Amino acid sequence: MTDTATATLPIDLGSGPFAVTTRGLARRFGSVRALDGLDLQVPEGAVYVLVGPNGAGKSTLIRTLMGLVRYQAGAVSVLGRDPADRGAEVRSGIGYVPEDYRVGYAWMTVGRLLEHQAVYNPSWDAEYARELRARYGIDPGRKCHALSKGQSRRVQLVLALAHRPPLLLLDEPTDGLDHVVRDDTLSILSEHLADSPTTVVISTHRVYEVEPLVDHVGVLSDGRLLGQLPRDELRGGLLRYWADVPEGWKGPGELGGRVVRRSGAARAIEWTVWGDRDAVTRGLSQAGAAVREVAPLSVDEAAVALLSGRKAS
Amino acid sequence: MKIRLSHADGRPLYVQIMDAVRSGLVRGTLRPRDPLPSVRDLSSSLRVNPRTVSQAYAALERDGVVQVRHGKGTFVAPGVRPEEKERPRLAREVARRALADASRSGLALPDLMTALRELDRDAHGDGRKEDGR
Repeated sequence: MTDTATATLPIDLGSGPFAVTTRGLARRFGSVRALDGLDLQVPEGAVYVLVGPNGAGKSTLIRTLMGLVRYQAGAVSVLGRDPADRGAEVRSGIGYVPEDYRVGYAWMTVGRLLEHQAVYNPSWDAEYARELRARYGIDPGRKCHALSKGQSRRVQLVLALAHRPPLLLLDEPTDGLDHVVRDDTLSILSEHLADSPTTVVISTHRVYEVEPLVDHVGVLSDGRLLGQLPRDELRGGLLRYWADVPEGWKGPGELGGRVVRRSGAARAIEWTVWGDRDAVTRGLSQAGAAVREVAPLSVDEAAVALLSGRKAS
Repeated sequence: MKIRLSHADGRPLYVQIMDAVRSGLVRGTLRPRDPLPSVRDLSSSLRVNPRTVSQAYAALERDGVVQVRHGKGTFVAPGVRPEEKERPRLAREVARRALADASRSGLALPDLMTALRELDRDAHGDGRKEDGR
């Protein structure tokens, strides 16, 4: 079974063109279903953020797209190829920041590592690599084994960006970076997107950080998508309604929308609803609620509403 | 051009950028024929997707506020009349937010008007006559 039946929000992004798709993607580790019939669609040129709790399958998914994890069922297409049998080709088109910090060979200096990449990668932009290295304050003489987490992350970002690949897969890209470097990384990513046509998939727990860059959102839970849609549709369709209601209010029979999360106190409700704003407002009003405010959610808030709403049901 | 985006704001980011340009026109910090920052520079300094900046510039161009000259950049349109169009438009936008804020707090328009007049009197009160305006 694929996602459609269990998703709370829409997950079909239409006919593409897509840089990445998976269809009914499944992978188990022992008895754990890490990916459970996943239908991913990443439009070409999108900046797609994958949101979900620890263990939702985000890193497994990214590693599967890289061809580093074998999938057991379904179909995968990354830049038009299946990473399961054309892994090396697929990887040559991807800039990857892995969850893991280790970079290069322990004995190698960072300078050598970058030279090494330049030789093996025909599209390596040496001038851009130097610029990034300088911006990140990376010491080329340092040995790979002596890098701190933050230094490793910076080297990994240079390695991912400097060949200007058509696809970036960034697994917690700002993890381990201090505030200033994190902020600088976001600015570097903005410039990179302005300069090179790139599709980006970012998995992160700091969604608020990348939110201004993001134009597509996928919420992942237990190896499945709860929703996958353009940021603007999420903003327009998933809304929080604050309303004053009479004592013992039962709620409307027909709302014209799908309640994702209910909270609030006895006489003041706070509902998160997926549906047409006017229809839902009318539905609430007709049932005797005085709607005081309707507001869109941040991606973080939307993810929390979807994930906690799911737990409750 | 100073732009501060708020992610708590209900307005989409591209609308916030459009309003910042309009507010620059109304305050006179942006004038006809002035260049706007490039998409690359503005998206980099705001840490937003370049498409969001392009979207804002394209919408401003449709409204006749800016001109995109290919290969040269984006400029404030020579014929903009901020007093006639941008000023009332920006005022409506600010008023809309104030009204939404008031209704959220359970206040109605008269409450808001009274408070606004009082605040304005306190702020400008006697000073206005003395500096001759």
